Amino acid sequence: MTSEFMAPAATTTDAPTVRRGRFAGIRRALAPVREARGLPKWVLYVGLAIVLLFVVFAIFAPWISPYRFDQYLDSHGNRFPKSVVGGHPSAKHWFGTNALSTDVFSHIVYGSRTALEVIAIAVVISMLIGVPLGLFSGYYGGPLDRTLVLVNDAMFAFPSLLLAILIAFLLRGKFSFLGDSFSGIMSAAISITVIYIPQYFRVIRNTVISVREEPYVEAARVLGAKPRTVIAKYVFGNVVQNVPVIATLNAADALLTLAGLGFLGYGVQPTEGAEWGYDLQRALGEASGGVWWTSVYPGLAIVLLVTGLTLVGESLNDLLNPVLRRRQLLPVKITGPELEMANADAVMEERS
Amino acid sequence: MRQARSRAAIALVGTASLVALAACGSSSSGGNKSGGGGNNAGGNTKTIVWGSTDKPVSYDPAGAYDLPSWNVIYNVYQNLLRLDPTTEKNVPDAAQSCDPSADFKTWTCKLKPGLKFSNGDPLTAADVKFSFDRVIKINDPSGPSSLLAKVKTDAPDATTVVFHLASGNALWDYILSTGAGAIVDSKVFPADKKLADNKIVGSGPYELASYQTNQVAQFKPNPNYGGDLKLNNGGLVIQYYQDENALKLDVEQGKVDVVYPGLSPTADTELKGKSGVNVISGPGGAIRYLVFNTKTMPGGSDAQKRAIRRAVAFLIDRESIAKNVYQGTVQPLYTMVAKGLAGSEDVYKTEFGDTPDKSKAQQELQKAGVKTPVNLQIWWTPSHYGALSSDEYTEIKRQLEASGLFKVDLKSTEWEQYTANCLADKCPVYQLGWFPDYPDTDDYVGQFFGSTSFLNDHYSNAQVDSLLKDEEGTRDQAKRVDDFKKIQEITVADAPVIPYWQGSQIAITHGSVSGIQDTLTPDYIFRFWLLGKS
Amino acid sequence: MARSSGSLSRYLVTRLLLVIPMVWILLTIVFVLMRVAPGDPVQAALGGRLPQSVIEQKRHELGFDKPLIVQYGHYLGGVLTGNFGHATSQNRSVMDIVTHEGAATLELSVAAMFFALILGLGIGVLIGRFRDSPLDVVGRLFGIITYAAPVFWVGILFQLLFVAKLGVLPSSGQADVLQNIDLQNHAHTHIYVLDAIINGNWDDLRNVLVHLILPGLTLGLLVCGVFIRLVRVNVIQTLKHDYIEAARARGIGETRVVLKHAFRNALVPVVTVVGLQAALLLSGAVLTETTFNWPGIGQALILYLNQRDYAAVQGIVTVFALIVVGVSLVIDIVTALIDPRVRYS
Repeated sequence: MTSEFMAPAATTTDAPTVRRGRFAGIRRALAPVREARGLPKWVLYVGLAIVLLFVVFAIFAPWISPYRFDQYLDSHGNRFPKSVVGGHPSAKHWFGTNALSTDVFSHIVYGSRTALEVIAIAVVISMLIGVPLGLFSGYYGGPLDRTLVLVNDAMFAFPSLLLAILIAFLLRGKFSFLGDSFSGIMSAAISITVIYIPQYFRVIRNTVISVREEPYVEAARVLGAKPRTVIAKYVFGNVVQNVPVIATLNAADALLTLAGLGFLGYGVQPTEGAEWGYDLQRALGEASGGVWWTSVYPGLAIVLLVTGLTLVGESLNDLLNPVLRRRQLLPVKITGPELEMANADAVMEERS
Repeated sequence: MRQARSRAAIALVGTASLVALAACGSSSSGGNKSGGGGNNAGGNTKTIVWGSTDKPVSYDPAGAYDLPSWNVIYNVYQNLLRLDPTTEKNVPDAAQSCDPSADFKTWTCKLKPGLKFSNGDPLTAADVKFSFDRVIKINDPSGPSSLLAKVKTDAPDATTVVFHLASGNALWDYILSTGAGAIVDSKVFPADKKLADNKIVGSGPYELASYQTNQVAQFKPNPNYGGDLKLNNGGLVIQYYQDENALKLDVEQGKVDVVYPGLSPTADTELKGKSGVNVISGPGGAIRYLVFNTKTMPGGSDAQKRAIRRAVAFLIDRESIAKNVYQGTVQPLYTMVAKGLAGSEDVYKTEFGDTPDKSKAQQELQKAGVKTPVNLQIWWTPSHYGALSSDEYTEIKRQLEASGLFKVDLKSTEWEQYTANCLADKCPVYQLGWFPDYPDTDDYVGQFFGSTSFLNDHYSNAQVDSLLKDEEGTRDQAKRVDDFKKIQEITVADAPVIPYWQGSQIAITHGSVSGIQDTLTPDYIFRFWLLGKS
Repeated sequence: MARSSGSLSRYLVTRLLLVIPMVWILLTIVFVLMRVAPGDPVQAALGGRLPQSVIEQKRHELGFDKPLIVQYGHYLGGVLTGNFGHATSQNRSVMDIVTHEGAATLELSVAAMFFALILGLGIGVLIGRFRDSPLDVVGRLFGIITYAAPVFWVGILFQLLFVAKLGVLPSSGQADVLQNIDLQNHAHTHIYVLDAIINGNWDDLRNVLVHLILPGLTLGLLVCGVFIRLVRVNVIQTLKHDYIEAARARGIGETRVVLKHAFRNALVPVVTVVGLQAALLLSGAVLTETTFNWPGIGQALILYLNQRDYAAVQGIVTVFALIVVGVSLVIDIVTALIDPRVRYS
C-alpha cells in the first residue's frame, strides 16, 4: 500500500535512485533491502549465513563428510558400531552412528544435499508454473480465472502434508528411468511442488488484481499499451517483489514437508540418499531407550535450516513490505515548499 | 480485559489442577478379572494380556484367510475337527466323527449333540451348512473361499453334515480344521455379507466381549462352551499395536504378558538380555525361496537354464543370510518342505552342499556352455515380507557376484504389482515366501511342483504329477512320506526353486506365563486356553 | 438494516452454492489419485497364493474390472448418500473408522488447540506490547522455532526427556490396556476424556489425561507459532490506532491499555484462524499420532495406505475433504457475520 501523498519528482534523498536498464524493475523492487538499517538487516544476515552453511555442506559433501552416507564399513572392512551398541558420539564418529551402522554426521552433511536438491527443484517448478498462472489468471480474469480460483481454494484448504503423502505414494517408482538415486528425489519434489503451486498462484493473482486497479496501470491501458507491455512493465515489477519472500518461506515449508514425508517413509529412500526425516523415523524407536544422538542432530539440522530460510524470508518481507517497513531516516537537505512535502511524506512513512 | 483475564485465569487453574491430578495418580497395573463359567482348570482366573502388531482382516470367518484373524477365529468358534497340538492330527471338536468315502469325494460328519453358541442358540447341522455356504456365496477377496473350492454341503438331519467335493481330497479334514471351517450362528450372521467384527458369535471356548478394531479385543470364557478343552486362564485381552517399539517397551515394563508373533530380529535380540523377559522360540512353517521362471530366465536352452539354476544353488550361502541379515531368527533351509513336517528331507544339502562352492558352480556353467558372467535379473518386494528383504537380496547379490560368475541386477516393486508381474511371466527370477494353510506336507509340495502350481514357473514333471496324485489320494502315512521324499529328490536336480530359510516362531513373555511352548507348534495356531499366568 | 441483511443473505447463499463445485473438484481429485494407484483388493489379498488366472476370474466376479466412469458414478453416488465405502483390508466401514479414530484425533486436536491458545495468546500479547525489544526477538524466534522444529522431532525430544530420562509420562497410546478396555466397554462419545467424565471413573480420566499431555503439547507447539505471529501483528496494529493514542493521552497505564483494548481486538482474528488451522492440525496430527502411537485418523490413513487399502484411503480422504470444506464454510460465514467488509466484496 503506497501512501496517499505521493511526492512528485521524488527528490528526497531517502527515495532510492535507480539506474535505468533492463533490470530496473527488479532493482527498484529490491532497493529497500540495500537501504535497510538496524535489526532487520542483521536478521537477514544471520539467516543467509545459516543457509549458506548448508549450501556449502550440500555442494562440498564428499569433501566435508568423513564417510559416505551409506557406508557401514571402515577402511579395514570392519562394521561400524550400531547405535545401541557402542554407537554414541566418539572421536571416529562425531555425532555417533545410527541403527543401520552409518555415521550420523555424514548423514547430516549428505542430507543437506538431498534437502537442497529437493527444495530447489520443488520451488523452481512451482514458481515456473504458479507465477505465470497467477499473472495471467489475475490479469485476464473471466471464467478461466474463476475456475482456477475454485480449484486453487479447494487444494489450498486441503491439508498439504496429506496431499503430498498421497502424491509421493503414487509417484513411487515412477521416476526410476532417471536412475535409482534420482527417482526418490524427483517424486518427493513433485509432490511438494503440487502443494505449493496454489500458494504462488494465490499471492501473485491477488497482487495482480490489486495492481491492475491502480490509476497508472489504468492510464497505460487507456493509452493503448498492449497487455504484454502492461504486465511486463508495471505489474511484474510489483509482483516480483513478493516472489523472493514466498520462495524462501516456501523453501522452509518444503523442507518440513520433505522431512514429514521421510518420517512416514514416503520420501527419499535410504539407498538413494541421506534424508533427515527418514533418520528421525529410525531414531524414534530408540528414543525411549535413551539413544539421543540419532534424533537430536538430524532434528537440529532441520530446525536450523528451516529457521535460516524463515529468517531470510521474514526479513525480506519486513524490508520489502511497505506496511511493516521501517526505514531509518537520513537527514533531508532540501529547502522551500518541498520541505513541507518531504517531511509530511517521511512522517507518513514512519507512522506506517 | 478483566473478564477475559479472569476467564483465562480460571482456565489455567483448571488445567493445572487436572494436570496435577493426572500426575499424582498412578496407573493401575496387573489385572485380576475372574471369568464367568467356562471350563476353568485349576481355578486360575487371571487375564492374559497379549500384545501384537498384527492387523487382523476379519473376525468373520467368511472374510479371513490370514493368520492374525485365524488366531482369533480358532478360539472363538468351533470347527467340526481341530488339530491336536502334540500329534498334529485332526481330532473331533464339534463333530464326534468325520469319515470320508472311498474316493474321498464325500465326507460325512456327525455332530455332538447339545452344543450351543455363546448366546444360547443351539448348534445344529443347519448352522454348519450355513457357515460353509456363506463363505462361498460371499466370495470375499480376503476370504478363504478358494480353500473350500466348490464344495456342496448338505444337512440331512440336525446332527449330520455331508460334504460333496468336486474332486476327491484326502486332506479335506485338514481344511475342516482351518479357519475356513469355523461354524457360525445362522441366526446372527447374514448369509450374503460379512458381520461386523464386534458382533461375532461362536461356540468356541472363548466369547468376544468387546472389540475396537486395531485397538483392544477382550475375550471371556464362553459360559455355554460344550467342548472338552480346559481353560488355564480367566480371559484374554489382545492389545493391538501399530508400532513395535511401543510394544517392546510395554512388555519390558510388564504392561503386556505375551508378545506374539515376535518383534523384528533386532528387537528380539535386544530383549533376550533383559531381566523379567523371556524370548521363547518354536518351530515355524514359513519358508523363503527363490523362484526361476523356467521360460523367461536367461539361458539359450533348457540345459543351459538348468545349469544356471544349479550354479546359483551351489553359490547361495544360507548361513550368512541367517546370521547377518536375520540374526539367527531363521534357520537355513535345504528343502521346500518345512522341517518338522512328515517326509522333509534336506535334498538341497545332499545335492549342492551347505557351503558355497564356486568351482562346482563354474563346472555346471562350463558343461552347458554358458558364457560368464551371467546377467541375472532378480526381483524382490520391499514391504510385504518385512523390511529385511532389502538386506536379504543385497546379500544374495553379493554372494552371487563374489564368485565372478554372475552379474546381478536387483529390481523391486510393491506387492500388488509384484505378484501381478512375477506370477505372469514378467520376472525371470524372483523372491517368494510361503505360509502353510495347514501343517501337511502336501500344502508345500503340491503348491510348488504340480503342473498347475500358482507359481506359473512352467516347470512340470510327469513323474512328480503322478506322485502328487498318489499321495493326495491316500491316508496311508507311510506311503505318503515315501511319495514326498521321491518328489523332493526328483525336483532338486532341476532346482526350479531354491529354498533358503525357514522361520522360527517367536514369543516373548514377561514374568511367568505358562503354556507358551505348548502352543508354538508348526500349525501356527495360537491357543488361548493353554496360556496361564501365575 | 434491511440492506445489510440482504447483502448478508446474498453472501451466504453465494457462499453455500460455492461449496458444491469445490466439493466436486476435491472428490474428483481424490478419485483420480486413488485410481492411479496400482492393484486391486483381489490381487492384494490373493496374489502369491493362487494362480493368476483364478485371481483374474475372481476380480471379474466381484466387479473390480468395471469401467472407470461406472466406478466414478458409484463413488459420487455413495458420497451423496453418506456411504463412504468399506475397507478391504479390514472388516469395517469407513464411517466406523471416522467415528472411532476420528474421535481420538478430535480429542488430540482439542488438547493441542488448548495448549496453542494459551501459549500463543500469552506470548503474542507480551511481545506485541514490547515490540522490537529483546523480548520481542526471543518471542518471535520462539514462534519461528516451534514452527521450524518438525513436530515429530519435538515429540521424540519429549520422549527422550520425559520417558527415557525422567520416566514420568507414557510414551505412547491413548490409555493403558485396562483403562482402554474399560472405556471401550462403557463408550458414549468415543472421546475418552468425555467418556471417563460421564462414567465418573477418575482412574480412567487420570490415565487418559496423562497420556494426552505429551502429544497434545507437541502438536500445540506446532500450531502456537502461527498464533504468536498473528497475535503479535494484531496487537501491533491495534496499538497504532488513534483511540489507543487517545487513551494513552488520557493517562491510562500502558498495561491496562494493552490488556483492555489490544487483547480483545487480537482475539477476533484468532477465532477465525483457529478454524483455518484445521488443515495444519490434520497434517500435524498425522505426524504426532505416528510418533506417539495415538490411535487417531491420521495414523489410520497411514496404516491403510501402507496396506494398500485404497478403498479405506479413498473414504478417509473424502471425509477429510468434506470436513475441510465444511470448516472453511463455517469460518467464512462467521467472518461474514462479524466483519461487514467481507460481504460487500
